[in-house]
Amino acid sequence: MKTRVPFREGLFEENSGKGVLLGARCQQCGQIIFPRREACLNCLGNDLETVQLSREGKLYSYTIVHMPSEHFEPPYTIGWIELPEGVKIFSQIRGWQEYPLETGMNMVLHFEKLWEEEEKEVTGYVFRPSGKGKGI
Amino acid sequence: MREVAIIGAGSTVFGKLPDKLPYQLGGEAARAAVKDAGINPRDIQFAYCANLYGGMVIGQAVLGEIGVTDIELTNIENACAGGATALRKAWWDIASGLYDTGIVIGVESMTTSPIAGKLIPPAKGDITGELGMNMVARFALSQRRYMDMFDVSLEQIARVSVKNHRNGCLNPYSQYRKELTIEEIVNSRPICEPITLLQCCPATDGAAAVILVSENLVKRYTNKPVFIAASVLKSGDYSFRWEDMTFSDMTYKCVNNAYEMAGLGPEDIDVCELHDAFAVNELQHYVELGFCQRGEEVRLLEDGATEIGGRIPVNVSGGLLSKGHPVSASGAAQIAELVWQLRGEAGDRQVAGAKVALAHVIGGEVTGLESGAVSIHILKR
Repeated sequence: MKTRVPFREGLFEENSGKGVLLGARCQQCGQIIFPRREACLNCLGNDLETVQLSREGKLYSYTIVHMPSEHFEPPYTIGWIELPEGVKIFSQIRGWQEYPLETGMNMVLHFEKLWEEEEKEVTGYVFRPSGKGKGI
Repeated sequence: MREVAIIGAGSTVFGKLPDKLPYQLGGEAARAAVKDAGINPRDIQFAYCANLYGGMVIGQAVLGEIGVTDIELTNIENACAGGATALRKAWWDIASGLYDTGIVIGVESMTTSPIAGKLIPPAKGDITGELGMNMVARFALSQRRYMDMFDVSLEQIARVSVKNHRNGCLNPYSQYRKELTIEEIVNSRPICEPITLLQCCPATDGAAAVILVSENLVKRYTNKPVFIAASVLKSGDYSFRWEDMTFSDMTYKCVNNAYEMAGLGPEDIDVCELHDAFAVNELQHYVELGFCQRGEEVRLLEDGATEIGGRIPVNVSGGLLSKGHPVSASGAAQIAELVWQLRGEAGDRQVAGAKVALAHVIGGEVTGLESGAVSIHILKR
């Protein structure tokens, strides 16, 4: 059994399948940023609270990649998902073989294995079509 | 602040040249620029050399090829904007009065680089890079959104590549000198959908160099100086402030600073070399650079306004798409091309009577920013 490790610490909480992405909201200017930082990247204010970002969003754009990357064999799909908070998340897109992708379609967050390395199973966030069709 | 003139330009032929080491490419371009300027290399007081993948102190190896040592020499990395960054720094060193005579070199050997045959990734450990981002995907994401939101077809985007490859046929420095059809471009193999192979710039080896002097030295060397009317360099802003990924805010802000600095506007530009790493980029940059209103860019292309002989010829050299894109060399190579254009020495691809020219490069992918760097130079004779 391989050890499950997050691909990066501090980006998300993976609570038995109902995980969330962790952003930060600036108490001074209201800007939400992802990933979290020590200070607000917009106004440099230091008073930030951790917020759980929405698990559903809309597909802002996507591309099917036909050449390998460091961790992924082709074809794989990546895209930007726009959350209701106004934040765009760059992510692997899964489930695109079953649901043809369309700009604006509704997507939902999942936590899955991203890749394996040696004795580790590296996990992280992916977005999949929610099956709820196209939004705005 | 002093006026700064370019008195010499040189370039290697661009192409797949794995038998030439990076410093040899750089040396060839530097030698050509020195010869073009008619300058004694020993009169060069300082240098900037842009390079991404060539390794340690490549500028010293390049200038060692032409007898230039024991000077202030700075090596620069700024992704695709490296060559333009080097020019910006050299411009200021002369404009400020620090030095009178300098050389700018951009050099890259992509076929011998560690990423040869791969799509260019962000720096090691970059979050989007780990998740599968690369330079083609970054622009494919913009293109998908652009096509869907503005109802632009792949065939319309492919016309950029048709035009620039046609121009490349006229340029002896171009990597490709072959015309392409819309069908060939659209049907070439997908790289990052909707971008196909022939909508992409190729992997290229090459170098370019220019020699700069202060205004008081111009007459000693040439009666055809090309002056730097504006030089602007900007890093990317946070992508949380970038609402529309089909419009480069960086380019828009940078060019407006450049127009202000030059006291000129888009209507004054006679010839432009812009960053067409992918065909779609050119259409989008028409708008940001002010050559047309948003929504008119496809018509600007289809009407022939950006062809040689049109109202605002763009990428007359063949651009990155046909001439090729040796990353850090491209910014310097654009300047060499525009110097030749403004001197009326561009042969079959000459834009008649060109007096004012604009060069634009943008590049570098990093998590959280629109892009790494953008630079605009406006040149005038």
